[in-house]
Amino acid sequence: MPEPATADTARPRGRDVDVVDLLLTQHARIEEQFLLVIGASGAARREAFEDLVRLLAVHETAEEELVHPLSRTIADSDAIIDDRLEEERQAKETLDALLDADVDSEGFETSLLLLRTAVLTHARQEERYEFPRLRAGIPAERLIALAPAVRAAEAAAPTRPHPGVESAKANLVAGPALAVVDRARDLIREAARRTRS
Amino acid sequence: MFNPLDHKGLALDQQLRDWRELNVEPIDPEAVDPYTRCRIITMNGIEAEAIMFSHQFARVCPDNDVKRQLAYTRFVESQQQRAVNWLLPGLASVLETTLGYEQVAVDLTAWVARHEPDPYLKQAYEFGVLEDFDHLYRYANLYEMVERRKAEKIVNGVTEVMPGRPTVAEFRHPFDNVNDPYDKDAVDPRSKLHALTILSAEQQVMVYYMNTGPQYMEPIARQLYQEISLIEQEHVTHYESLVDPGETWWERLVTHEYNECWLYWSFMEQETDPRIKAIWELHLQMELAHLQQAADLLRRHDGREPEQIVGDTGLPEPLKFEPNKEYLRHLLATQIDLTKLGAGYVREAHERFEEMQEKIHGGQQPPSEAVIDAHREMFGDEYRLETEGPHPVESLRARQGSRRA
Repeated sequence: MPEPATADTARPRGRDVDVVDLLLTQHARIEEQFLLVIGASGAARREAFEDLVRLLAVHETAEEELVHPLSRTIADSDAIIDDRLEEERQAKETLDALLDADVDSEGFETSLLLLRTAVLTHARQEERYEFPRLRAGIPAERLIALAPAVRAAEAAAPTRPHPGVESAKANLVAGPALAVVDRARDLIREAARRTRS
Repeated sequence: MFNPLDHKGLALDQQLRDWRELNVEPIDPEAVDPYTRCRIITMNGIEAEAIMFSHQFARVCPDNDVKRQLAYTRFVESQQQRAVNWLLPGLASVLETTLGYEQVAVDLTAWVARHEPDPYLKQAYEFGVLEDFDHLYRYANLYEMVERRKAEKIVNGVTEVMPGRPTVAEFRHPFDNVNDPYDKDAVDPRSKLHALTILSAEQQVMVYYMNTGPQYMEPIARQLYQEISLIEQEHVTHYESLVDPGETWWERLVTHEYNECWLYWSFMEQETDPRIKAIWELHLQMELAHLQQAADLLRRHDGREPEQIVGDTGLPEPLKFEPNKEYLRHLLATQIDLTKLGAGYVREAHERFEEMQEKIHGGQQPPSEAVIDAHREMFGDEYRLETEGPHPVESLRARQGSRRA
């Protein structure tokens, strides 16, 4: 049984799962995580919010390091990608403002809803204008080959603490998720370097 | 009850809108009451029918004065349709809107079936609703495959998602989709409103699917839209044949306007979002004037009073979007294996049905079955939302999946 306080996004299985599949799953997961944050309060909300920060960090890194550069190799894609990067930059600004806020303050909720609109709009833009071009313009095996890096990054920044990492969890209360997120970013960057070389 | 025939409404020359008024703020798809979305989708279908009906009328109308009146009201109705449908957010995908359409088809048809006084007409709605119920389930599985989201995000637990009459079994010989019409002079006026409402909604679903389906790249999505859009066309035949073909154009115009009054008034009573409620209220005021105009045309050209068409007791009880879970479970348990033979309903798979099934499926698995298998392959189970316990039909219960308990 899934715990009621965690998201329950279906995960695709099998050998054909490509990087777009995983990013779509992350979009759905992020959407659900926003709901979990909004629906919680106090320590539970702080925890749900930290999960959200980790999800967003892993996701945006995968897009910026792996997927957008690949999109740029398709003719006439630069303008679309520039727009996506600008959206990501704006979302990060809103997120930065939230990191230091009291999760139960009114300002937090207002900014969170703004962030949600920005993130979900950005996700839809990608689903409509970027992902279909990727699948049409990039060989399937290349998209499949990128999936393990995204999976590794997800595993490095888990959204529910594993047993035995309580000390890491304690760190998160002071500064959310930064260590694990950095590790996830490194994994994706490594994979990106490998694909480029 | 409120009698729209007693009200003048908003003067026709005050009904044109400028760009600012048309530029409506869309609903927030993450926070909307699912039944607010359903009311928007319903009124879009109603206004789309109003526009197309008026165009058809104009094509057979030899009187240029009347044609000018129709043209004016039709332009206003077009603006009403734009204002209503543009409440849907760009953030929502085609499939999310599709799930909304099927939720409408389920809960709107179920409400109408529960309130229909004529047993033959009631049977038509009970029969049809189990098919749309199945479409919701098929699209919900597609939705999770293509967009990774779950249909409960849209239906929000007020409508269940599980198999209905399997879409594969919904393909009948076209002859068997033609029903007997009601008798316009004997039938309860409520029945006229019910038939027009459901046929408008189904027609909009058909048009939406047959036009948006090819926008998908995923083969299974393209195929599923093609299949279900063909069933929706069957439904338009099924419901439109209930309407008395002897109604004059003037009479039909009155029924259309009266029906629009009934629905805007109903939704105004029920709306939870004050901003949307204000739109229903404004549109009711506009429709009251359209009804006056239609009543005048009826008096002048048909020599009859509108009360002879829609009765003199005012509107029937307001149509409500509300959960119909228990009723639908009862229909699933008792009518799942029905099909049509001519204008009637039978349980056996008769010769003409079998012939049609053979021709259309040709021994192959249709997309509506393939989508469930593909979902199982991708995620290990199928998508359902059974809030009231297991499926009432044992053979349609889910095989145990690996993801959800």
